[in-house]
Amino acid sequence: MTSPPTARLGALRPALQWLAGWWQIIHLGAVLGVLALSASGRRQAWGSGLAGQVYRASGPMLAGFTIATAVLSLVVIRIVIVTAQSYGLSQYALEMVVRVLVLELIPLAAALFGAVNATLPMADELATLRRRGQFDALRQRGLDPLATLVLPRLLAGLFAVLLLAALSCAVTLVLAYLSAHGFSLGGFERYTRTVGRVFSPPVTLIFCAKVFLLGSAVAWIPLVTVLQNPAGRRSRASAELQGLVRLFVVVLAIEAAALVGNYY
Amino acid sequence: MPPPDALPPPGPMPEADLPAVPHLQAKATGLLVLLAVLVAAAIGYLLYARGAFEPTQRLVLVADDAEGVTVGMDLTFSGFPIGRVQHIELSPEGNARILIDVPKKDAGWLRTSSIFTLVRGVVGNTNLRAYSGQLSDPPLPDNAERKVLAGDAMAELPQMLAAVRELVQRTSALAAPDGALAGSLANLQAATDQLKGPRGALGVLMGNEADAKKLLTTLDRTNALLLRADALAASLDRLAGKTDTQVFGAQGLLPETRATVLQLNALLGDARATLTRVDGVLAEAQGIASNTRAATTDMGTLRTEVEASLRKVQQLVDEVNRKWPFARDAEVKLP
Repeated sequence: MTSPPTARLGALRPALQWLAGWWQIIHLGAVLGVLALSASGRRQAWGSGLAGQVYRASGPMLAGFTIATAVLSLVVIRIVIVTAQSYGLSQYALEMVVRVLVLELIPLAAALFGAVNATLPMADELATLRRRGQFDALRQRGLDPLATLVLPRLLAGLFAVLLLAALSCAVTLVLAYLSAHGFSLGGFERYTRTVGRVFSPPVTLIFCAKVFLLGSAVAWIPLVTVLQNPAGRRSRASAELQGLVRLFVVVLAIEAAALVGNYY
Repeated sequence: MPPPDALPPPGPMPEADLPAVPHLQAKATGLLVLLAVLVAAAIGYLLYARGAFEPTQRLVLVADDAEGVTVGMDLTFSGFPIGRVQHIELSPEGNARILIDVPKKDAGWLRTSSIFTLVRGVVGNTNLRAYSGQLSDPPLPDNAERKVLAGDAMAELPQMLAAVRELVQRTSALAAPDGALAGSLANLQAATDQLKGPRGALGVLMGNEADAKKLLTTLDRTNALLLRADALAASLDRLAGKTDTQVFGAQGLLPETRATVLQLNALLGDARATLTRVDGVLAEAQGIASNTRAATTDMGTLRTEVEASLRKVQQLVDEVNRKWPFARDAEVKLP
């Protein structure tokens, strides 16, 4: 067996490790996807506390996140409308608000908020359970830890991002209407038309795909990264950090792809 | 490493260390229902906003250039959106065909006489506008195809600039110190000076003093002529009065003429009687003439007889001459 030159191996090793890490993540993600789509996987997940995970992932932070995005949206809406009016372009203000907030900012904020408040703590929890040997114990009892421990958290994380994004988008649309037209139904037709113009079929498709992919990435990458490293190793903290970095890379890629799809 | 007594609890849910949530299932179901309701409402609202529940009719606008027109753009009427661009395609003739869906409830604003414009602003997006002058005209049918009038502020700008430049050049040439305007103004100044001078406007009109004097003389003469014409008119008036008296007065020409005519009539009656008499004389003369003609006929007969008698006398004389031998030498010459 001829070993490659040391310098060459040294240059290739990080790249190979990086590729192997991504491959493991994709592989585990695919396994979890298959489990989520299979009836037995869903049954095991529901039986092992999916409802609890769903509530814990989204319930406690729902009100806080909605209020935070409402305040942020109000500020942005106000800035955009006042600026547009000062330039005499107020007819484009609402369209811009809808595009900037509903299409771009709120899904991203929901994804990051869901990651920080739901899936990263879940990943920590999973790491603790794994370190305690719960995975092996479950396997000994004939249960799949991926279906019973990981899948409920994954679905809960996805659900949390979708719910946060949907609720915040609805609240922002209402706030934008109230900021532009006040408490009157007179501008509803025109506003609806503006929203309809923004949400053309391709844009709507890209928006739905983006929210779903962001939710999936937020739920999947931190959890899977924790499972990737051998249990009990001292590199737990670095694994979580690694997960966060990977999550940001994927979120950035999804955002970029959505922007390309929408505006090119 | 976890201690050996920290093995999983018997249940399938190993996260027993988490605090228990009251009514967990109900809350989780509530959240699921909330998401489902939000998604369903969003889908319904977007379909409504895109006009999926409204019956529409198709309108095709044909433009030379569809630049700036986007799918989803509004067609406005009096500032209100009444239609939405659904598709833009290139026709076989090379024109842009803009396919617009107009909801049936708004289609009433579009008439067969409606005009459609495509306006590209300098700032802001392109606008498609409809104008209906006669709302009493028949409504626009489905799939109607209309030419759109393009009004492009930017496209007009270079032409306008060129025209403005030419205008400025001409104005500059006109207003130059040696230009037409300056010359005209100088002439006007000279004319104004002349107006203010002793000869006034007449000097300006005539150009020189001699002509102006001629004109004045002519005016004087005309005045004198007019005075004479007045006198003439007065004498004519007098003449007319006299003529009136002479002709139409009691002792005038006309009554006398009338008397003369009466006398002439009487004379004519006499003449007529005389002529009648002459007619009788002529008739008698005609009778005399007839008698004379008969007498002439008799005289022809008489003459014939006289001639015969004369011939006989001639023959007798000839006989005597022959028989008389002394009278002459009678010689018979044989041919």
